[in-house]
Amino acid sequence: MPERLANGLKERRTELGLTQAELAEKVGVTRKTVNTVENGVFTPSATLAIKLAQALGLSVEQLFWIER
Amino acid sequence: MTKYLMGMAAGIAVGLIIVAIMKWRTGKFTSVAAKAEYLSQRRARMLPAITVIFLSQQAAFFSTLGTHDDRPVTAVKISAWLLLSIVILAALATKGFWLERREVRDLIDDENTRANRNDAMRWGFLGSMAAAIVVYALTMFQVEISARDAVHIVMTVGIPAALIRWGLLERRAHRSA
Repeated sequence: MPERLANGLKERRTELGLTQAELAEKVGVTRKTVNTVENGVFTPSATLAIKLAQALGLSVEQLFWIER
Repeated sequence: MTKYLMGMAAGIAVGLIIVAIMKWRTGKFTSVAAKAEYLSQRRARMLPAITVIFLSQQAAFFSTLGTHDDRPVTAVKISAWLLLSIVILAALATKGFWLERREVRDLIDDENTRANRNDAMRWGFLGSMAAAIVVYALTMFQVEISARDAVHIVMTVGIPAALIRWGLLERRAHRSA
């Protein structure tokens, strides 16, 4: 069974009332990058994962986890 | 030589006109993020179109393959193709959008775009190598291919392979909401 990096980005973002574009602006990427991370299409670097977690007020482990 | 320079000049003139239109159309954005988003979406739409333009330019070359067509029109077409190849390669190797502000360029070339671009370059490299192997194998069966023709064939496969891959990845990234 392959491992994949799952995340709770969409749930947390919606909870905070942020759009993809607003979150993207907070972390300094385009909306497209946030979109691909949310959908599991793109695995972010450690730097971006930390930035996203900080912007959403969570730890990286709370925001991302490995799904088997 | 003059014929080739004419082709280059025509290519540069067309390129400058396109750049001027782009600058005029993107002037309405006040936010860096909005402009980057717009340009990123447009790039995703333009990549397949550029591939088609690039491949259609190849008609001039392949229709004269193995002959000595030295008409000015052919020289101009091949020069324009060469110039377009250089521009596309430069766009693939750098952030592109050279006339935009630094912050816009940095944002357009964010992490996901860099990953997509690198993957496209990998496809371009593999396509080029596959074409080179085919050309090499053909020469083993007494098929005469000049060095110039071989380079042209390799580029004809490699550049579109990279463009198509990049276009697909960018469109998927924008679409998968």
